[in-house]
Amino acid sequence: MNIDLKEMTQLAPIFRELFKGYHLSRSEPEPYAQLSNLQDQYRALFKALGFELVCDPRGFYYFVPEQAGAQVNKTAQRLALFTFILVEHLADQGRDPLAVLDGGSLGRDELPALLEKYRDLFVQAEVTTQDELEEKVIRRLTQLGFAEDSNGVYRFLPPMHRFLDVCLSVQQDRDLAASLHSSDLPLPAPTLVVDDDDILVDDEESEEEALARAIADEQESLA
Amino acid sequence: MIEPKRVLRALAEHWTLLEPLCERFDAGTLSLVELRNQLALQLPEGTPESVTATLDQWIRLDILVPVAKSPNRFELNAQIHDFLAYLRREHRLGLCLEIEAYLRHLERLAGYIQDAFEIRDGNDLARQLRLLDMRVRDVLKKLANDEQALVGVAERAKTSDRQIPLRQRYAEVLATWDEYVEPMIQLVAADGAFEQGVRRVEQVLLKLLGEQARLGQLVDDDLLLRTHARILEMQTTAQLTLRKARELLLPLREEARRHNAVTRGAALALAAIRKKGLDAVPQASLPLFTRPQSTFLGSASQVEAYVYALARFQPKPTQFPRASAGRKGAPPRAPRTAREMLERCEQALPLPDLMSWLLEQEPEGATDELLYWFSRLARDTRFSRDRLERREYLTREHRVSLSSFALVANANG
Repeated sequence: MNIDLKEMTQLAPIFRELFKGYHLSRSEPEPYAQLSNLQDQYRALFKALGFELVCDPRGFYYFVPEQAGAQVNKTAQRLALFTFILVEHLADQGRDPLAVLDGGSLGRDELPALLEKYRDLFVQAEVTTQDELEEKVIRRLTQLGFAEDSNGVYRFLPPMHRFLDVCLSVQQDRDLAASLHSSDLPLPAPTLVVDDDDILVDDEESEEEALARAIADEQESLA
Repeated sequence: MIEPKRVLRALAEHWTLLEPLCERFDAGTLSLVELRNQLALQLPEGTPESVTATLDQWIRLDILVPVAKSPNRFELNAQIHDFLAYLRREHRLGLCLEIEAYLRHLERLAGYIQDAFEIRDGNDLARQLRLLDMRVRDVLKKLANDEQALVGVAERAKTSDRQIPLRQRYAEVLATWDEYVEPMIQLVAADGAFEQGVRRVEQVLLKLLGEQARLGQLVDDDLLLRTHARILEMQTTAQLTLRKARELLLPLREEARRHNAVTRGAALALAAIRKKGLDAVPQASLPLFTRPQSTFLGSASQVEAYVYALARFQPKPTQFPRASAGRKGAPPRAPRTAREMLERCEQALPLPDLMSWLLEQEPEGATDELLYWFSRLARDTRFSRDRLERREYLTREHRVSLSSFALVANANG
C-alpha cells in the first residue's frame, strides 16, 4: 500500500474530527469526499497509528474506540435512550420513525412534549429539564456527528444508523424479550469508553443521580 | 346486440367525461346522484337534461351497468373498464393463480394436439395449435400487464406521503409480495408448474416436428416453429417479470421489515429500561463513540502531534557523498579483532587492573565497546582472575562503576 501524503490534503482536519469521536458523513463535504476517494490509504495510515477506521457503507466514517471493560458510558446510554424514545414517539404519532431519523428532522418545539411524555425514562438518564435534554442529548448528538442543529431544527445524519442498529439488535435479542417476562433481569450494562469530561461529570452527579432515582421511585410508588 | 361502432363513437365523443370517471370507478361504484354531480362538474354549462341524456346513452350502450341488487348504483362495464384501463395505461395486478390456470390449459391443449396428430386430424390439429398460440399470447399480455402494475405498486409506495407510517405506506407492497411475487417464485422455479408446463408443451411440439418430417405434413412446419418460439418467449418473459418484481419490491419489502424491526426493537428496549433501568440494554449492542484510544505505544498527544507532523510533511532531498570527493581527516580505524586483543592482553600480563589497562589501550574507545572487551577478556580461560574492589572509571563519555579484575596467566592454560 502506497500512502501519498500529498494527496491527503484533509488529513489534519479528518484526524482531528475522528480523534474527537466525531462521525464524518456528507454533512462535512470536503473531508467526506476525500475519505471516500482515498479510503484504503486513510485506513492503512490510521491502522499504522493504532486507530481502526470504520467505513460504513451507509455513508459515514468513525474511529473504533477501545473497549473499556465494564465502564459505563452515560452519553451512549442517553443517546440510545433518546433514539428509542423518538422511534416510539414518532410511531405513536403515526409518523415514520425511519424517515425522520434517516435524513429527516425534528423541531426544537417538539422537545417539551417529548420530555413530558417520557419523563420517567428521561429521569433515569438524569435529564429532567429541556435545557438538560438539549445539553446532554442534543448537543452531544451534534458534537459526535449524529445530527445538525440549524436554528432549532435538528436534522439527523446517516451515523444515526448506529442507533437504529441497536434497535435491530435489541429486537433480535431473544434473551432480552424473554427476560422482560421474568422477574429477574440479569442484563449486562453497556460498556462504553468514557472521555475525561464524562468521568468528571459522572462523579459530580452521583448524588444527583441518587436523588433522581429516589424521585423516580417515589413517583412510581405513588402512581 | 349493441353495435360496436356506436360504443366506440360514444367513448370517443365522451372521453373527456369518462376519463376522470375511470379513477372514481377504480375505487368503487357510484350512485346516480354522485354520477350526476360528477358530470355537472365536468359540464358546467350543461343542463340537467343533457346530463340525463348522456347518462341514458351510456346505460343504453352498456358502458354503465347497474350494480347487482343496487339498481341506483352504477359501475363501468367490466369489458369497457378493462379497455379504458388499457387505453389509460392503467394496470391492475392480476393473480398468480390466473397464470397457473393458463398453464394448466396449455398442458391440456398440448394433450389435444398430440391426440389430433395421432388420429391424423389436420383441421383439429391446426385449430388446437391456434388455440395454444392465442393462450400463450394471453399469458404474455398478462405478464406485461402485471409488470406495469408492479411498477405502479412500487411507485405508489415510494411517492406516498412520507409522514404516513411505513407500515401503511408499504401495505400494498407487502400484500403484493405475499400474494403475487412469492407464488410466482414458486411457479417459475425450476420444478414449478410453469417450467413443467412449458417443458411438456415444448416436447409435444418438437416431437410433432420430427414426426411430420417422418410421416408427412399435417400442418405447416412454420406454424409449429412459430408456436414453439412463442412458448420460449413466454418462458423468458415470465422469468424477466419475476426478476423485475423482485428488483422493484424486494428493497421496499426489506425496508418495511427493517422498519417494523426497528420500531419493535425500540419498544422492547424502552420496556426493559422501564422495568430494570438504563443498564437493561445489552452493552454489546450499544455503539462506542467517544474519544478513541490508540494501541500505539505513545500518549494520545504524541500520536496527535505525529499526525499533524505527517500532515505538514515536506520531503527534503537527501545529499549522498560524491564518489569523486576525497575523505576529510584520517580514515577510521578498523575495529580490533578478539584474537588481536587477547594476544595484546597476554603480552601485558600480569595485569593489576583489567579495566585500567583497557582504558590505557583504548583511550578514545566507546564505553559499550570497552565494556565488551572487559567482559570478553575477563572470561577467557587462558587468564586467571581476581576480583578487585568496586571503583569508578572514566571513559571518554561516561563514568562507569564496576568491580574490575586483576589478571594473571592461567597456570593450567
